[in-house]
Amino acid sequence: MNLLLSLPPKDQFFQTLWYLINTYSSFFIRGILITLLLSIVGTMGGFLLSLVLTMLRTQTIDYKRDSRIKRWMIKIGHIFADSYITVFRGTPMIVQAMIFYYGISPLRLFWWTPLVAGLFVVTLNTTAYIAEVIRSGINGIDKGQMEAARSLGFSRGRSLVLIIYPQAIKNSLPAIGNEFIVNLKDTAVLSVIGVFDLFRATQSATSSNFRVVEGFFIAAIIYLIMTYFTSMLVKKLEQKMDQSKELSHA
Amino acid sequence: MKKFFVWSLLLASLSMLVACSSNEQFDLNTETKIVVGLEAAYAPFNWSTPSTNEFTLPLDGHPGVYVDGYDVVMAKMIADALDLELIIKMVDWDGLIPALLAGEIDLIVAGMSPTSERAQTVSFSGEYYRSEQVMVIRINGGYQDATSLNDFAGARVVAQLGTLQDDLIDQITNVNHLEPLDTYGMLATALSTQAADAFIAELPVAQGMVAANSELKIIQFEGTNGFTVSDEEVIVSIAMRQEDVNLLEAVNEALSAISDETRQTIMSAALNRQPNA
Repeated sequence: MNLLLSLPPKDQFFQTLWYLINTYSSFFIRGILITLLLSIVGTMGGFLLSLVLTMLRTQTIDYKRDSRIKRWMIKIGHIFADSYITVFRGTPMIVQAMIFYYGISPLRLFWWTPLVAGLFVVTLNTTAYIAEVIRSGINGIDKGQMEAARSLGFSRGRSLVLIIYPQAIKNSLPAIGNEFIVNLKDTAVLSVIGVFDLFRATQSATSSNFRVVEGFFIAAIIYLIMTYFTSMLVKKLEQKMDQSKELSHA
Repeated sequence: MKKFFVWSLLLASLSMLVACSSNEQFDLNTETKIVVGLEAAYAPFNWSTPSTNEFTLPLDGHPGVYVDGYDVVMAKMIADALDLELIIKMVDWDGLIPALLAGEIDLIVAGMSPTSERAQTVSFSGEYYRSEQVMVIRINGGYQDATSLNDFAGARVVAQLGTLQDDLIDQITNVNHLEPLDTYGMLATALSTQAADAFIAELPVAQGMVAANSELKIIQFEGTNGFTVSDEEVIVSIAMRQEDVNLLEAVNEALSAISDETRQTIMSAALNRQPNA
């Protein structure tokens, strides 16, 4: 074995940390990269898909003009979006991971790996949460804006896309950033289907030496660094938005 | 109406998912590779490592991660005998049988005992290792002088989730049977942190853990002082899908070519490759 260090005795906490970092650095780095990948793809993908849900949900039926088919389409859209959000927010991600990964595995798709399944699940899950975030963003926008847009001759769709959505999304950005932080931590549950995220990497790093507390102490510090810097960025973003608000009122 | 829609959607997607499992037998003539599932966290049977040696194999889908251990060496010998390319996948212990049934893996070579309960869902090869069940305790934890199971009355005993060892705990009278944990790493931690007084393990596993952690000690039982175990509970076997009868025959044939001495040599070599403090 080409180990640089030998395993220190059990009571030497800091030496054990050093041993684990040295011997298993490749595991930890890979775990960090996979955790970041899951969180970034999950949050970005979830944001994009949540726009689709938002559009489905904000459609309204115009009983005077809309044809029967259009009314049905809008209704089905509402039901789909609502039940999607209910199901994905109402079940734990670890349960969704088990159902999707093992449910689709029998199809023997060569690309259906734990990582792909993990990306899939975290994206679908985040979609539901961000859709709710954007919904509250839309609710926060003064009704008068829509009324003004309509009276200026914008159609309802154009008012939504050009006036309401951009403001709602902008106001939602800090909350979406928080969703990213949540994902950094919560993707640890995806290790249950064999995704080599930071949690699983730590488990693997302790699989032959059983220094579990020391291993997860390192993982905790890494998670903390990642979430700390992201929340700093989110805070900066919030401050910047507050500034621009003050300026526009001045 | 809304409820009906949600339920029918759920049911439709579930039935779609369930309907697709294949029933074809593993074809030894046409298949070129065989996929083995293991935990990669059950040293000295199987563990993960970032470094390579002549025994390690890469872990499928995880570049830079390798597996080593008794199971890996045995799986390689079987795959060679069957003239198949060996692919190793890491699957959690309680996910192994679901992964096998889902066709995700073809064999479980993970130190699994062929209990009659498991044999209802999967079929097992003959034994590929035989050992005894021992107790692992913490030195100075109050149980270091135990010689029989009766000495563990009142002790807090723990085991891994979904294992034979978890069932064996109930053979101790007046035991405090703790909730099972996910990995052997957690069992060792439960002992070191005094969250438990003892856990049950197969002898080689216990040996590897004690080598890495001098606070721990093995208690072996003599004669009738220990657990009452049937033959199927002291051996480990290779699990496969019940429809794969040809594969079962081929695996058994490959196993019969590996002598007991060879097995012992492979196991002690694996124990030596495990880090010790």
